[in-house]
Amino acid sequence: MRPLLLSAMLISSGCVSMAYIQDPLEQYLISQQPELALAELEQQQYKTRDQTLYHLNKAVLLRMQRKFDESNVELETAKQIITKLEALSLREQATAITVNDAMRSYLPPPFERAMLYSLKIINYLELNDIKGARIETLQLDVFLKQNFEKKEPPFARYLSGLVFEANNELSDALISYRKAYQAYKADNLDVPRQLQTDLLRLTEYQGLADEHQGYLKEFNLKRWTKQAELKPQGELVVIVFNGLAPRKHETAINVQDPSSGQLHRIAIPFYEERSSQVDHFELQNGIDKNSSEAFEQIDEKAYANLTEQMPGIITRAVARVAVKNKLSDNMADKNPLLGVVTNIATFISEQADTRAWYSLPQQILISRMILQPGKHEIDITLKNTANVTVAKKSSKLVALQQQKQFYSWHWPASTATSRRDEHARITYSTTIRHHID
Amino acid sequence: MKNKLTGVITLASVLVVGGVLQGCSTSVERMAAEESVDLSGDWNDTDSRLVSEEMIADVLSRPWISSFVNGQGKQPAVIVGEIRNLSYEHINVNTFVGDMERELINSGKVEFVASSSERGEIREERRDQELHSTEATRNAMGREVGADFMLKGSINSILDTEGKTQVRYYQIDLTLISMADNRKVWVGQKKIKKLVKKPGLRW
Repeated sequence: MRPLLLSAMLISSGCVSMAYIQDPLEQYLISQQPELALAELEQQQYKTRDQTLYHLNKAVLLRMQRKFDESNVELETAKQIITKLEALSLREQATAITVNDAMRSYLPPPFERAMLYSLKIINYLELNDIKGARIETLQLDVFLKQNFEKKEPPFARYLSGLVFEANNELSDALISYRKAYQAYKADNLDVPRQLQTDLLRLTEYQGLADEHQGYLKEFNLKRWTKQAELKPQGELVVIVFNGLAPRKHETAINVQDPSSGQLHRIAIPFYEERSSQVDHFELQNGIDKNSSEAFEQIDEKAYANLTEQMPGIITRAVARVAVKNKLSDNMADKNPLLGVVTNIATFISEQADTRAWYSLPQQILISRMILQPGKHEIDITLKNTANVTVAKKSSKLVALQQQKQFYSWHWPASTATSRRDEHARITYSTTIRHHID
Repeated sequence: MKNKLTGVITLASVLVVGGVLQGCSTSVERMAAEESVDLSGDWNDTDSRLVSEEMIADVLSRPWISSFVNGQGKQPAVIVGEIRNLSYEHINVNTFVGDMERELINSGKVEFVASSSERGEIREERRDQELHSTEATRNAMGREVGADFMLKGSINSILDTEGKTQVRYYQIDLTLISMADNRKVWVGQKKIKKLVKKPGLRW
């Protein structure tokens, strides 16, 4: 019987290596071909439990083609599905304990759901529908309050501030900027210089002297745009979605019980690390030149989320080992061959849940430029770490007084630089063995 | 005995499969437009209809109408201006405005003039008539009825959530403003409060 079991181990190892094959959708994304990526997405057979991912990916591919209305339809569909999935399914939980975690419907983690709202807001902003963006911002606020006790995603709060500013609600804008500032602080991250100037500008305008002095002391900025200077001007806000979110892969710990010969397998997900082609971008209008700043590292959010989820993932995996071994034992009592076949089947079915919203960017870059009312020719130049131009876009726009215009650009080009499977094995193997013992 | 057992199993299988298939099919049931059905707890047609009916009934029962009729000797002409949606929901304000227009017109107490977007289309048609219609059927420019009052308003909301339970509060504020001197002749307010409980379990 043992050769049969060992063959199962080898077959299962083959399954692991399959996870490293690059998704064609990812290849089309990296080569800036969202139309082909969308065609590929439509061909891929998404199971009912993965419908959320289908709509989320489709929404990104549509907005890359600047089809913002259609993108919002997909995001809203995903949002409605998620609302239904928030209720617990005992059937799916039971399947997760007996087969594997990927048998459950995909419920995006909070950081992905915050991005769902954020992308919908940006779609409205690019459609110049400030009212629509404002409504979505209020929904985002409810979501953030419900799902993040601390460490809110700072970009979501900063974006909310931009929407309120665009709607001329400066008090609400300051509240959102303040929350973004608190989020950066809670995460021990540097506060972007742009946010520093926004806080200084609005606290001064609202006459919040103590808070203003506090920021002055902390940021040590000599010059920032005053609200009175900004009021007669227009403004352009450019958002670049840089790189691609890291992908999850599977690593497994396979053990054979020397006494019974039974195979035990525990599969857990781990993240790869990615490197983006672009480091920053420059925004020029012939007079001024502004450089972008990173407002969110989505890859860091993804790593942190998986680390937070890992104790639950391991507990379920260990519980599955017990359930599956009991099943194999019961079968072996009736017929030894049936016991081996059951052991192989349960061994192979043990797979990690490696699903995630992979069309998200790795990082979000922002730059704002104040523009005098009138015609402008704007250049957006994407640059790498050596400050060499990677790509450039030029467009003409008419700036209007007190009006903010928004423009976003996806640049998914990136490569996986390393895999953290050894890290995952070393970090979690002791925990797993402790659970099994 | 064996045949009887087979029959029972067959019948049970048919019933189960039938039940499953029935569960999978789309069902359509026609209902009256005024019938109230709350599915998600979001703002819906019932909210729109109830608010417009109650608020228009209120505005038409107030003394500003009789004051205007006594002073001017004619019915007031009203136009519906912008109803701002400041709530957290994407509310179709057009159905709400439509409901209010219907209530105002059907009351017979006020005259109603077309909105600015509708006026643009009608003026275009009138210009077209000047070129292409016979003199007897042509409608001349410059004979429109100007509005005496504009109805403006906003929809606001507050959402309080704890776990799977939400209290949704909507406040609708409407104001009737005199076009002649910007006086506010009527201010109306309607509040709606809903307790929404989401399911904790699903299949």
